[in-house]
Amino acid sequence: MVEAGQIALTVVMGVFLLAVAAFLTRFEDWRSYAPIASGGGYVGEQTGQAHQEKPSGISRWLTTVDHKDIGILYGLYGLTAFAWGGIAVLLMRTELATPTEAIIGANFYNALLTTHGITMLFLFGTPIIAAFGNYFIPLLIGADDMAFPRINAIAFWLLPPAAILIWIGFPLAATDIGIAPAETSWTMYTPLSVEQANPGVDLMLLGLHLSGVSATMGAINFIATIFTERGDEVGWERLDIFSWTMLTQSGLILFSFPLLGSALVMLLLDRNFGTMFFAVEGGGPMLWQHLFWFFGHPEVYILVLPPMGLVSLILPRFAGRKLFGFKFVVYSTLAIGVLSFGVWAHHMFSTGMDPRIRASFMAVSLAIAVPSAVKTFNWITTMWNGRLRLTAPMLFCIGFVQNFIIGGVTGVFLASVPVDLVLHDTYYVVGHFHFIVMGAIAVAGFAGIYYWFPLFTGRMYQKTLAKVHFWTTMIGSNLTFFAMLFLGYGGMPRRYATYLPQFTDWHLVATVGAFIMAFGQLVFVWNLVTSWLEGPRVGSGDPWDLEDDGLKTKEWTWFERKRETAIATDGGEPNEQDVRTDGGEPSGEETGSRSGRRSEEE
Amino acid sequence: MDEQPGLSDEYRKASPWPVFVAFGLAIFEVGIVMALFPVAVGGLLLFVGSVVGILRESGYVADPWKGLVTASVICLAVGGAVALTTTNAVRLRGIAVLVGGLLVLLAGVFGSFWEPAAA
Repeated sequence: MVEAGQIALTVVMGVFLLAVAAFLTRFEDWRSYAPIASGGGYVGEQTGQAHQEKPSGISRWLTTVDHKDIGILYGLYGLTAFAWGGIAVLLMRTELATPTEAIIGANFYNALLTTHGITMLFLFGTPIIAAFGNYFIPLLIGADDMAFPRINAIAFWLLPPAAILIWIGFPLAATDIGIAPAETSWTMYTPLSVEQANPGVDLMLLGLHLSGVSATMGAINFIATIFTERGDEVGWERLDIFSWTMLTQSGLILFSFPLLGSALVMLLLDRNFGTMFFAVEGGGPMLWQHLFWFFGHPEVYILVLPPMGLVSLILPRFAGRKLFGFKFVVYSTLAIGVLSFGVWAHHMFSTGMDPRIRASFMAVSLAIAVPSAVKTFNWITTMWNGRLRLTAPMLFCIGFVQNFIIGGVTGVFLASVPVDLVLHDTYYVVGHFHFIVMGAIAVAGFAGIYYWFPLFTGRMYQKTLAKVHFWTTMIGSNLTFFAMLFLGYGGMPRRYATYLPQFTDWHLVATVGAFIMAFGQLVFVWNLVTSWLEGPRVGSGDPWDLEDDGLKTKEWTWFERKRETAIATDGGEPNEQDVRTDGGEPSGEETGSRSGRRSEEE
Repeated sequence: MDEQPGLSDEYRKASPWPVFVAFGLAIFEVGIVMALFPVAVGGLLLFVGSVVGILRESGYVADPWKGLVTASVICLAVGGAVALTTTNAVRLRGIAVLVGGLLVLLAGVFGSFWEPAAA
């Protein structure tokens, strides 16, 4: 039986490798490595036909190293993961509608809890940020592409196998080969994660490891791109706020994700190869907590800094003013980046650590409130007396600020040791970080998607549906996460499939809120798909009229040029000034954009 | 027309290798950790082959077959070290890397002789 299995695996691998070789021969002449005529031609052919450089159909997406294509792939991937993470949590909230274990069972609940956390943080949060970064950083800084386009593609293609490995426990549980989904929670605390014999845990750890490798490669790429690929006119003093946050975030990834990778390998070794890194005789379970949270807390800022950058970029464009205190928003970003490595033990206040060490971690954790508040006040001040245009991206930016304030202030209380000792491991913590990750980070992501929707599709989304999406998301998230805060005050512990009857009412409220949010996301997907396919085409390269306030940024200039070039190649009219469609002044686009940038950043 | 917006004329915008570098690494990792011998060997072949391919494509390696031979030396050294110093299940993993290295070596040697001088 075992031998038959090995033979079958060998045959499958052989066939797979042959298929890969067959695929490769379509793209590469193995003798000279010159692209074949019908496949991917060289871009240097100078024909003026943009599509000549890429193969067509599905092969284009499998082989692309273009930063915009990879950005789209990251985006699709992130939204797919968001859907699975959302379905998982809806099943959990359904179970939590009743106090008893009535619907899905505690073990399945634990598996969903684990996959929800890991999916949302590693397979949705990090990739959706990389989607914006890949598509827009080169456009914003005037670069041709990312510094390392092939490494960029490798970083993306590590993610689908990572997702398969993390999720595969669910389908495999239906077979009888003894693999079930991991039930370790996203923190994978030892000794629980060492002692669960289920190979599904190993698969999940491998998937996480791959996603960490991917994030690290992406971060190196962003750092190299922002340092070396900026256009001649983009000095450090003119670098936009989103690029600043991506640069800081990439630095955080560079210092924290390799540590997660190492800790995961140690855990895999403990599980499979008899090492004792996290056994009591070795480093003990506390070693895992220190390693994990030394990664885990910077991870929070890895997830929140670029969305803050998005809001800092988008919000002023609909307030009709430049960002208030641009320099201080940049400084606060850098300050958060540095401080984020000095707070990890605030996740461990109740582990019995030395009170003097605990107090110092409390001080640093509270200090993070300062740069966070600097940003919040700058966003509010930007809007103050501004000419607000409540478009969907603006609404989501304001929603971000609101939820970030609630999530941030509840975090200040948790940073305080005496309060934390009471609220630790309750739903208060769950409510706090969901205000940040869903209420703020995901909402900023929506703002970015709506803001740039005309740019990457050439069409406009349906405004009413976008507002339905906004209000359902805001009402649903506040309903759910406020209910969680109240449950926490009442002492409801986190991570349980069952609870005492006195918690039923708030749990019901949270479940209702979750389903309202889910409805909003269905509207979002519907809007995205139908608008992409048949939405009205935008009439100019500046659909938000940013030029009027002198707030146009480089990516819109690129979009405008793309539209003009497309017209020029279609109509055969080489003089682009004659085909200007928006009534803009000849040669005004560059200077207009420059003055816009200057007014924003000085 | 001044340029193709956002497109560079310095290099190609398509490469078949990144997807297989990534999948090769993933398959190899699964094979090694889950002790699936054919998966580990196949993953190693895919990973090493694709890395050599991408290095050749981007001009870091002049001759792909020599690249394969070089990579095989690394595989044989690592696999040999693991196989010689361990026992049982861990040794099996070392042997998988060793076998993969041998296959890479064969491919490199065969390719060097079979292929006419590179154009």
